[in-house]
Amino acid sequence: MEESGLNFDLLKKCADCGACYDLCPSSLHIEGYDPRAVIKDILAGDFEKWTDSEHIWQCLECHHCVEICFQHYGFENAMTAMRKYATRSGKHPIQVKRGWDMFAKTGRLGEPNLGARKRLNLPEPAESGEEEFKKLFAIYKADKKTGTEEKNES
Amino acid sequence: MKEFAIFWGCTIPTRFPFIEKSVRTVLDALKLPYTDIDGFTCCPEKSLVNNVDSGMWTLTAARNVAVADGEGVNVVSPCTGCISNLATVAKDLKTDTTKKKEVNKTLKEIGREFKGESTLKHLIPFLHDDFGVRPIKDKVKYSFKGMQVAIHYGCHMMRPGTALKADDPLNPKKFDTLVEALGAKSMQYMTKLTCCGQGLDRVDQHDKALTLARLKLRELKNLGADAMVLCCPSCYLQFDNNQFLMEKEGEKFGIPILYYTDMLGLAMGINPKDLGIDSHRMDAGPFLEKWAKLCQEEDALTSAERMKEGLNADSAFI
Repeated sequence: MEESGLNFDLLKKCADCGACYDLCPSSLHIEGYDPRAVIKDILAGDFEKWTDSEHIWQCLECHHCVEICFQHYGFENAMTAMRKYATRSGKHPIQVKRGWDMFAKTGRLGEPNLGARKRLNLPEPAESGEEEFKKLFAIYKADKKTGTEEKNES
Repeated sequence: MKEFAIFWGCTIPTRFPFIEKSVRTVLDALKLPYTDIDGFTCCPEKSLVNNVDSGMWTLTAARNVAVADGEGVNVVSPCTGCISNLATVAKDLKTDTTKKKEVNKTLKEIGREFKGESTLKHLIPFLHDDFGVRPIKDKVKYSFKGMQVAIHYGCHMMRPGTALKADDPLNPKKFDTLVEALGAKSMQYMTKLTCCGQGLDRVDQHDKALTLARLKLRELKNLGADAMVLCCPSCYLQFDNNQFLMEKEGEKFGIPILYYTDMLGLAMGINPKDLGIDSHRMDAGPFLEKWAKLCQEEDALTSAERMKEGLNADSAFI
């Protein structure tokens, strides 16, 4: 969790505050969704047990908690960090992997529906940046690899 | 007005091309200088891409903004998710020069540069701020007077507030003003600013997504809303598609779902079919019928008043 970029000082206040519970749609309407329980475990270094939990995927990223928060921080940051951690550990919903694969392959999450476009008399869709995106992705991966190797050597 | 590119995103062209039809038809009718430019990709979707790789999330969004920068155009999107993601990354890079330098070092290798000069706006604040409320009122041929509609803002139209600066992130008003400019009453209801909950459908939690969809739909059914109006394909998916699925299973809500451009187009006298309203899964028929009846009554009233004025006049020539 040290690498998550989370601000532990702010999280300590989150663990005791909970002002955003009254605005958070998931806290209000999903049984068992309790961000403070997760935050307390993150602070205690005992967060592993949440990686399998469906609750860490129930944060809707509506940013309501961040806006209402007197620290402008909110539960969302803790949930995002947990999701990243879970994904890196291979514990993520199947849909996340499916979506990522499509994104990595085409730079998009779906292709324009050409049949419907014709029926609706819509113009040809503009060209996507797929090829350039693929180049960018390849450069990024290569840079990341070099970065990791340099880090390992030092 | 400076030329602007529409950022359609993935969901509208893939799943709801009729929303694209509605937006284009209305922008054409308003004679707004919009353009389609080559080179955009997925914004990218935050909850998906950022969870897997935040570096690629930043780079992809920065590249999209750089594409608009390169063409010298502003960006307007009818998708709240897209504009929020683009604006979040743009704000990050504008306020973190080290990060911006790193990103531009990589982008240079594909011949792009993130400058952040293009403004990034969602369609609703754009219509409100750049086109203007008065000009919209002037375009109304058939008012929605007598109709009450429930606005669903869509969280990412104004949040995060520091990145979008589009409206008050906790008490937005612009969408209300635009709806009332068409003569309709914008309903105030308990769950008005609650998230649609569609995100749960993207993480294999369909039942929970439906729980959140029911919240608003039940309240609006009880309050007798004539329709829900929104301006986000993800929220649209939640309330049109998922409502339709729940109705098939026997839960009845009967709330027609309209895109803002549908309402604006109708008020301007555009045919519902040219706005793609016949492609919605939830039948907009009851909304249109009630409205047509009110328009006829209004018409009859206006002519009756005119007639009365004519009869009461003392003289035809003075």
